[in-house]
Amino acid sequence: MKKYLYMFIATLALASAAFAVDSQIWGEMRIQNILGYGQEESLKLGPLFTMLQHHYFAWIFLGILIGVPGAFFLHYKIIGPKVFPHSEKKYYAFNLYNRIIHQIAAISFIVIVPTGFVIVFGDFFGGGMFVRFCKNLHGLFTVPFTIVVIPMALMWLKEALFNLDDVKWFMILGGYLSKEKKPILAGKFNAGQKMWYWVAILGGITMILSGAFMFFLDFKMEMLHNLTGMSQIDMLRAAAIIHNVMGFAVVALFITHVYMSMFAIKGAVQSIITGYVEEEEVKILHSTWYKKLKNQGKF
Amino acid sequence: MEYARMKFYCDEHRCIECDGCSVACAEAHELPVGIARRKVITINEGIPGKEFSTSIACMHCTDAPCEQVCPVDCFYIREDGIVLHDKEKCIGCGYCLYACPFGAPQFPREGIFGAKGAMDKCTMCAGGPLETNSEKERHLYGQNRIAEGKVPVCAAMCSTKALLVGDSESVSAIIRTRVSSRAKGASNPLVWDKAYKNQ
Amino acid sequence: MTNSLGDIQKSKAIIIFGANPAVNHPVGFQHFLKAQELNNSKLIVIDPRFTKTAAKADLYAQIRPGTDIPFMYGMLNIIFKNGWEDKEYVDARVFGMDKIREEAAKWTPEVVADVTGVPADTLIQITTLYAKNRPGTLIWAMGLTQHTIGTSNTRMAPILQLALGNMGRAGGGTNILRGHDNVQGATDMGCLADSLPGYYGLAAGSWKYFAKSWGVDYDYLVKQFKDASWMEKNGFSLARWWAGVQNVKSDEKIENAGTPLKALLVFGNGITSVAQQAKIKEGLDNLDMLVLADPFVNEAAILTDKKDNVFILPAATQFETSGLVVATNRSAQWRYKVVEPMYESKPDQEIMFELAKRLGFYEQYTKGMLMQETKDGKLETIPGKTNFTWPEDATNEIARIIKTIGLTGWTAERVKKHTDNWHMFDEVSGAGIGPMKGEFYGLPWPCWTKTHGGSPNLYDTSIPVSEGGMGFRNNFGLEKDGVNLLAEKGSFPKGSKIETGYPEITKENIEKVLGITLSEEEKAACGANWKVDNSGILVQKALEAGVCPYGNAKARAIVWNFPDHIPMHREPLHSPRTDLVAKYPAYPDKANHFRVMTKYISVQSAQDYAKEFPINMVTGRLVTMNGAGIENRASKYIAALTPEMFCHIHPDLALKHGIKNGTMMWVHSPEGTKIKVKAKYSYSVLPDMVFMPFHFAGYFQGTDRTGNFPAGTKPYASGESVNTVTNYGYDIITQIPETKGGLCRIEKA
Repeated sequence: MKKYLYMFIATLALASAAFAVDSQIWGEMRIQNILGYGQEESLKLGPLFTMLQHHYFAWIFLGILIGVPGAFFLHYKIIGPKVFPHSEKKYYAFNLYNRIIHQIAAISFIVIVPTGFVIVFGDFFGGGMFVRFCKNLHGLFTVPFTIVVIPMALMWLKEALFNLDDVKWFMILGGYLSKEKKPILAGKFNAGQKMWYWVAILGGITMILSGAFMFFLDFKMEMLHNLTGMSQIDMLRAAAIIHNVMGFAVVALFITHVYMSMFAIKGAVQSIITGYVEEEEVKILHSTWYKKLKNQGKF
Repeated sequence: MEYARMKFYCDEHRCIECDGCSVACAEAHELPVGIARRKVITINEGIPGKEFSTSIACMHCTDAPCEQVCPVDCFYIREDGIVLHDKEKCIGCGYCLYACPFGAPQFPREGIFGAKGAMDKCTMCAGGPLETNSEKERHLYGQNRIAEGKVPVCAAMCSTKALLVGDSESVSAIIRTRVSSRAKGASNPLVWDKAYKNQ
Repeated sequence: MTNSLGDIQKSKAIIIFGANPAVNHPVGFQHFLKAQELNNSKLIVIDPRFTKTAAKADLYAQIRPGTDIPFMYGMLNIIFKNGWEDKEYVDARVFGMDKIREEAAKWTPEVVADVTGVPADTLIQITTLYAKNRPGTLIWAMGLTQHTIGTSNTRMAPILQLALGNMGRAGGGTNILRGHDNVQGATDMGCLADSLPGYYGLAAGSWKYFAKSWGVDYDYLVKQFKDASWMEKNGFSLARWWAGVQNVKSDEKIENAGTPLKALLVFGNGITSVAQQAKIKEGLDNLDMLVLADPFVNEAAILTDKKDNVFILPAATQFETSGLVVATNRSAQWRYKVVEPMYESKPDQEIMFELAKRLGFYEQYTKGMLMQETKDGKLETIPGKTNFTWPEDATNEIARIIKTIGLTGWTAERVKKHTDNWHMFDEVSGAGIGPMKGEFYGLPWPCWTKTHGGSPNLYDTSIPVSEGGMGFRNNFGLEKDGVNLLAEKGSFPKGSKIETGYPEITKENIEKVLGITLSEEEKAACGANWKVDNSGILVQKALEAGVCPYGNAKARAIVWNFPDHIPMHREPLHSPRTDLVAKYPAYPDKANHFRVMTKYISVQSAQDYAKEFPINMVTGRLVTMNGAGIENRASKYIAALTPEMFCHIHPDLALKHGIKNGTMMWVHSPEGTKIKVKAKYSYSVLPDMVFMPFHFAGYFQGTDRTGNFPAGTKPYASGESVNTVTNYGYDIITQIPETKGGLCRIEKA
């Protein structure tokens, strides 16, 4: 698996090196790129991107940056965190491999998300060296995430498939809006975690690809051109729009994920550090899984 | 005082794709090979009646989209309409390229992974935000001919004077003269012969 | 060029045969575009390729290479049929148009369509447009000249102009575009194997005139040759010198006084852009010594396998020296030195002076610069002058000696004055304003005297001789087969004392022709005729009478001393139309053509080339380069625009051979040579044709020879020279290679 990833990265690097010789943007293709701008039959991605970036993207990110933590702050103040006794039996739920993979992804996100915000609010930070450094970090820390995203997807795929429990979970929003501690239907991952799984995996891959497009700018993807009928520049515009829009979701859920593990459920973060989950926690928040484990005599 | 806006215009009736403008530009500003601030493009090459060429660079748009999308706000528009940017502020994100209708912003490669360096584009030979005609300005942005009262080098070197530059009013006056004299085609004696004598 | 680039703005129609000014003369092309804009001029382009010039044309005809004569006869056919010719003009000023009329009658639009591939409708449309919009100017360049029938082509075009009365008119004329800086000057100075400077030819009389003018004994000059007879014979030409080199395998007989060539000196000539590269390589390889003087490494040094006795001399560029240069419209301009020669480079003349010193003729070589003409027609060393000043004294020497084309007025002082005051001349007509009134910019020749203002348009009778007017030249006698060769009554330059045709002025006839009497002193001072008259009296007297010194004659449509008396169509040696070869065969083989037997019919009839080599091959220039391209390819920005040798190929043809855009392909010639080039799809060529530029060198038949460059001199771009595969074939008069009509075979590499 990793071999392919290395190859992928190497190809991108090589393709970018070759850009000057056969540019898709400034070479022969430039004519198509220019003609395609804002034409009736085109997707009008140029004006669309300009409009979105000029008026909306930064504000929406700001909204997410303030709104989501703000909502959680209120939640914390009004409803409060769930506290479970940590003296009960534990179950070894995440092996070392799981944890390493997760931690690599976690570190990547911890760098990628804030640096992303620095780029979005680049003018606030005055541009120049610092923002450029953040931009490069933003790209650099994509590499570890790129390496672990597939293993992570595979190791949790089974648990992340949606089922009937999730409908019920969504109907009560996982019980987070009440202070009561009654068992909530959920497997090893509840619907919220599953949602995060899919956003992190599919969204993550989308972010990697659209980000790579923007980072390398000018590599040959004839297959994609043929498939989509889009010029290189339009693909770049699409990538920029997708990267931003997907960014909203990833960032929002990332903040949620952090809030849940760090604040909403006291000590939950320990489970991904040590690998052990608390019985009480599982019993209430993942009751379906708890039953299964109980039947197997794991507790 | 209201300044007229400085504009480029390429008369495609005159442009012959000699690339004099792009070579003059690269030479004058000592650009790295692979950076084409200006480029001549030809449409429908080899097809009689449909082929024409035009020279493209930053067109110094009135509502410059690049300026609107830049996340670090490194663009500024001079009073005379020349759109410039601050290379020391630029982070090389590429957004201006996506917004630009002309593919004008160029990105040199830096480092082993091919990260984009600070954006480079046509300055209408007006340099950048640094001290005028300083060594650093020349190094980062190329010559500042406007400050010396000279025409941008591309237009100066244009072999057929297809590429015009100046305040929008004088440019449009030149084009108007060319177009109106071309339109005299209607008084072609051959046409009038057909219209009157042969009937 | 009979007129000038600026004069093109006055044309109502412009017809271009085998030239691509939009690419080869981008700055000059401005005048074509302005003519379209300001004068509503019609631009017509005849070319095998849809060029950048064609893209600006009102009408375009895609002609088969080498069929310009049929096309022009087709035009004349239509012109004569409709009575559009200028009858009065033809009667008064043209000899032999009736023969042209006879031949033109055979070239109906249908016949022309078959031979040229241009539809009859297009021909009629073009002819109508051109004939109805006068004055029309006719432009040509290498597309007309580089054929076995190149000379006929270049006669045909003026004949078309004569029929329409377009010659000798502002906005008319035949305007031949020169390919390089100062080519006109090089031609005027006789950088050719068949003439002394100034088109004086090689006759004994000319040698004697030059011997006298240079202040050396005629016998001294004779001694430099094997014997006097070799002085009057053509030398080897640039196209075929290699045939005379020792040990070069050839079945073509050499007549070079019994000795082969052993050494070659090349001064700034890109011989890698000349046809038959394989033979040139063989020639270079077999020399005893090769000297290349060039600002860049002449790629002949890269092409040859010769290891010893190859000398590369660093010559200075035009910016490192000064002197007079001549523009395409026969006008002179002073070029000032910008910087001193850099590093160890030397200007050409210094290299030559050093050579002359070592060979022992420096004194004779430079003596002419120390001399002057006296009023009594004698020559003397300027009193007290022992050293010459370069280049002023050389310029003055030229002005003093070259009278045939009227360079008398081109003193260094006058030419500099024009260059310094170029703002005092009208941009379009070149006419001087203010202090320069009465002179034309650069004194376009003929500039008869030191006060004459130059002649903007040749053969223009609407203005006096003193202001640049003239009729056609009297150069071929007074009558032929009982027909008067002088202009008829009523045709004469404005203000002339003689209101009819007259012969060129000689000492013998001046009194009779001009109706004057010369004093005894004047008679004693005069030379035999105006071309060799050191006293200048003959020209002076003629001008006073408003008479042109070279006479006032008819233009010849019939040239009885050429193989074809009137231009005749002959198929290229390698014709794609085998069926037409029998009808329009090539010339018989010509022995001793510039000292080497040159084949025509024997090559053409040797095999049916079209079967194995079905594709037309044309070569030409790119806007980014000139000549052999070495200095352009050594510029990184220019090299980046055209980084490699390529072949324009129609996608239909390419795909038939499985050649994808951007992949390599082989081009094979009937001579058995081949080149490997990159295919570039283009719709500008027909599917039976390929186009390749001739600016590349450094590769030879698929092998990379760039390792031969001395360290640090390798250009940014190298590639195959197309002239490795251009076909055998040379013009019957000038021996220019037939690079604009040939065949090839292609295959995927």
